[in-house]
Amino acid sequence: MATEERRSGPDGVETVDADDVDAADILGSAIERREDPSLLTGDAEYTDDIQLPDSAHAAILRSQYAHARIEGIDTSEAEAMDDVVDVFTAEDIDVPGNLPTAWDLDTLRTVDHPVLAEDRIRYQGDALAVVVAEERYQAHDAVDRIDVDYDRLEAVTDPETALDDDAPVVHEEEGTNTAFDWEIGDADETDAAFAEADHAVGIDVTNQLLIPNAMEPRAAIADYDDSDDELTLHMTTQNPHVHRLLLSGVIDHPEHKLRVRAPDVGGGFGSKIHHYADEALVALAAKRAERPVKWQATRTETYLTDAQGRGHETHAELAVDDDGTIRGLRVDTAANMGAYLSTFAPAVPTYLYGTLLSGQYDIPAIHCEVSGVFTNVPPVDAYRGAGRPEASFVVERIVKEAADAIGMDPTELRRHNFPDPDEFPHATPVAMEYDSGDYDKTLDRALDLVDYDEFRERQERAREEGRYIGVGLSCYIEACGLAPSELVGELGAGAGLWESGLVRFTPSGTVKAAVGTSGHGQGHDTTYAQVVANELGVDYDDVDVDEGDTDALPQGMGTYGSRSAAVGGSALVQSARKVVDKARKIAAHQLEADPIDVEFEDGEFYVAGAPDRSMGVQDVALEAYLAHDIPDDIEPGLEATTFFDPDNFVFPFGTHVAVVEVDPDTGEIEFEDYVAVDDVGNQINPKIVEGQIHGGVAQGVGQALYEGAEYDENGQLVTGSMQDYTVPKAEHIPDMETDSTTTPSPVNPLGVKGVGEAGTIAAPQAVVNAVVDALEPFGVEDIDMPLTNERVWRAAHGNGGDS
Amino acid sequence: MEFDGTVSIEGVTMDEVWLALSDPVMIKQALPGCQFLVEVEEGDVDFDALAASAPDEDPPTLPEASPEDIAERAFVEGGRYAALMEISVGSVSPSFETVVTIEEREFPHMYAGGEGSASNSSFEMSSWMDLVETEDGVDVEWGAEADVFGRVAQMGQRVINPVANRVVGRFFDSVESQISDVSTDDSSGLRDRVSGLF
Amino acid sequence: MERDITLTVNGTEHELSVEPRTLLIHALRDEMGYTGPNVGCESSTCGTCTVHVDGKAVKACTELAVRAEGSEITTIEALNEDGELHPLQESFQEEHGLQCGYCTPGMVMTAAEFLEEEPDPDREEIREALEGNLCRCTGYQNIVNAVETGAEKMRTETAADGGTVEGGD
Repeated sequence: MATEERRSGPDGVETVDADDVDAADILGSAIERREDPSLLTGDAEYTDDIQLPDSAHAAILRSQYAHARIEGIDTSEAEAMDDVVDVFTAEDIDVPGNLPTAWDLDTLRTVDHPVLAEDRIRYQGDALAVVVAEERYQAHDAVDRIDVDYDRLEAVTDPETALDDDAPVVHEEEGTNTAFDWEIGDADETDAAFAEADHAVGIDVTNQLLIPNAMEPRAAIADYDDSDDELTLHMTTQNPHVHRLLLSGVIDHPEHKLRVRAPDVGGGFGSKIHHYADEALVALAAKRAERPVKWQATRTETYLTDAQGRGHETHAELAVDDDGTIRGLRVDTAANMGAYLSTFAPAVPTYLYGTLLSGQYDIPAIHCEVSGVFTNVPPVDAYRGAGRPEASFVVERIVKEAADAIGMDPTELRRHNFPDPDEFPHATPVAMEYDSGDYDKTLDRALDLVDYDEFRERQERAREEGRYIGVGLSCYIEACGLAPSELVGELGAGAGLWESGLVRFTPSGTVKAAVGTSGHGQGHDTTYAQVVANELGVDYDDVDVDEGDTDALPQGMGTYGSRSAAVGGSALVQSARKVVDKARKIAAHQLEADPIDVEFEDGEFYVAGAPDRSMGVQDVALEAYLAHDIPDDIEPGLEATTFFDPDNFVFPFGTHVAVVEVDPDTGEIEFEDYVAVDDVGNQINPKIVEGQIHGGVAQGVGQALYEGAEYDENGQLVTGSMQDYTVPKAEHIPDMETDSTTTPSPVNPLGVKGVGEAGTIAAPQAVVNAVVDALEPFGVEDIDMPLTNERVWRAAHGNGGDS
Repeated sequence: MEFDGTVSIEGVTMDEVWLALSDPVMIKQALPGCQFLVEVEEGDVDFDALAASAPDEDPPTLPEASPEDIAERAFVEGGRYAALMEISVGSVSPSFETVVTIEEREFPHMYAGGEGSASNSSFEMSSWMDLVETEDGVDVEWGAEADVFGRVAQMGQRVINPVANRVVGRFFDSVESQISDVSTDDSSGLRDRVSGLF
Repeated sequence: MERDITLTVNGTEHELSVEPRTLLIHALRDEMGYTGPNVGCESSTCGTCTVHVDGKAVKACTELAVRAEGSEITTIEALNEDGELHPLQESFQEEHGLQCGYCTPGMVMTAAEFLEEEPDPDREEIREALEGNLCRCTGYQNIVNAVETGAEKMRTETAADGGTVEGGD
């Protein structure tokens, strides 16, 4: 098993210019990103930058209330305004207009989710009417002139209250707020494990609702050509093909006459996966107006409508013996689903959560029950990590509590329960089979970097001086690279999760690669070009990558679940290898050799034993297109497409350690150190990997210390702007020390595991564990996130962590 | 959200404060951004019509007005009043079409409930007021409970609290100065006439 | 209702009609086609809209277009000269100081102004200087690295020129 260690302090991995890297070394090099010059000079093209001739602007009326009956909507004043092109409500549209849920569960209550609310409002982001006007401001002015007669209803926003008998019911026709009941694992075995274990430790944890906060608000421009019924949608999407498929049903437009294109996309973090009402409304508006229509959400609109993340209330119990052996884990979670079931929502608190509850540990028995609950908040769906941060938080918090309860060092308890590196693939009692791992290695490295042994002595001395420092660990596991279509189909997915990749030589020997993923900041153009250049042995600059356009390649599933490199990258590898195989036959023909005798290395075909009889792959490309002299059984041209469908997920892992100092008098938390040691398998571009870890950790620290969507008792979002919802600033995030080990994944040809979500999954519990450790002398065992100064102060003063 | 407070007014009597705070005209003038405040019948309120028919100039209030006239137009228990209130909140200035019902009115206690709606925001509120005699005047103890909805609510308490404080502060400043006029202007035996009303 | 104004952007004069309420960012983007600066929050918090007005970093989402009349406005589009990236743009690329790039034009413009004032800042000063520019992708570390590296490049350039760096303004 290859192991390579990279260490980096604040300065991080050093980059190199791609021009200075030999073709043979391009894979694995920390090259600069080719997307950056355009992003750095203002040349980038985000959706709202696109200005089509004769464009009109749309604005969407949202609800004043989180829960209400609609008695009437009067649009007459808006319609009468100068420069208003169109105003429409639910009664004006004659398409299905119902947003689908693409994941099913046995007990799932699927509910209608109309693109325009008809008679009932279920959350503040519900759309009531669309205005199309000549200019942006006029559209918003007109929205303000629409008069809605509401009958306000009581609202409910937290999942536990929503399960009370007297709670307001979000979907009246269902008669209950339970969206589903789901379980995994073996209840009887888990009961038995608890009966036999020396101890049982219980915790209650809240994983608060978060707003994803991509810096670019969602936007769409629809352009409709009546003469041939072609509809083009430029939009902020992480998965154009998925959007095309779903949208074609929602607005009843034939899929082959629909093009969805993602221009530059300014971050997503999950929030641009889902099919929202808005893109359908913009498409309908363009068809009605027969001219291009543009819409961009205001920030407040994104806060009211973007699918939020997390939202769990969990009680967990761990059965553990005196010697630290974990015997069993029992978990009961109420998961907030929001007002409707968003695109992949049912999968998030179930198959992306319950299946990860074994963490890095060998736990013989696990049982997990989850109730998905409708409430009057925006639909809750995937946000960076999606289910896996919630699982890791439960596991890593309860493992720390268990260590404290039995008086064992938390590192030792963890280590005691790791499976050995030779026990992989490792099956868990919650349906996963971990591909590969070496958990001691990342833990050792992280402890070494923070000088853990010395820390405990330092902590003792600090406490004597009245200073409170603490260390928090997070040994996380995640499943990503989503992944095997057959398996996800069995679990309820309404889609396959393969990925397609096309590799095409031009006659002059340059290469076009196209992938069905859709990057939005991850540097895919750079990494995919590294992958393809390496496979074909051509110059990195000779490879161009296309993504994010349903017209650019056959099909695709998009970017989420840290899947792009593992699944999309692998599709490109397979296509490149198919291209090489075909080129080998043509080269053999030209070299008058048997293909079996023709070797391929660094872009050159040569006859084994006679290296001077050789031909470059780029020359072969020309021959393939000239087709003057190619084998009879070979078609002209040189390209291949692969639909790569791996056999398993990939399972990155690592250890993150936070070291903090807490001032019990003010509740302030200062980072002394933050160390991240991750094993994401082979790394295509270590600088991009580092950036993903940094950004992921920042969002995890944000959850731990600052962020949370808050609603008042009427379901009104009170953190409705960036002045009220704390997106961490530069001064909030510590310098991190990142390091990695490399345990390649056996499930894909690149040996990569995926890195997009690792930091977000790992960080929150490292920070919370550190703060709880620091405040141990005050008897503090738990504080709810976000750990605001007030909550920390209260906890230190014996008022509990709940505010 | 909840607000409450106590405003102390020196050199005035309970009766004077009660009368002043019972006068819809004075309340209208004291409320910042209030375009009109008139009694209305049960049923839907046509704010456009009320705005059109609102007098350009208000009738006189204390001390110019006669206490008897004020008693005549004073709030009554069960009375329903409509007001148009323009309030600047952050970058927006919604005009709230507001309907208030005086639920309880018994000297020295008043309780009112109401709701207001603007294009993209609305509120529901109940408020109460008690007068308490002090050594050198009267304390007005007041409280309000409000639910805010829509665009204004999204701005959060960070924005709403200062606005509420500003409205309440200006209101009582204005009330205080008008009542002070009553107590200093005793030329016509106004104080006696006011106290004689109760 | 509309007013005719003249705005000087990146050295070019533009005549346009705007409403008194039109924000500078919308005038730049919708009326004049300078789509480098972006709209992120409409509340002066995120800084994606940052441009220079008379050399000072200003959030164009809370500045009225009419108030910018007579001023010299510089957007990210003019930071690089003659096809050469500004030292800060170079350093952002070298350090991977960006991912999705949406915050980047504002981030770079804020940093450029800051380095005019403070050519040799420490990491903490850089973090403070960027408090009005939010990034959701990078976790800021490589942005801080980029500003440090950019500062070094600019100091070297200044020393070589024997004068002050104009930063392309």
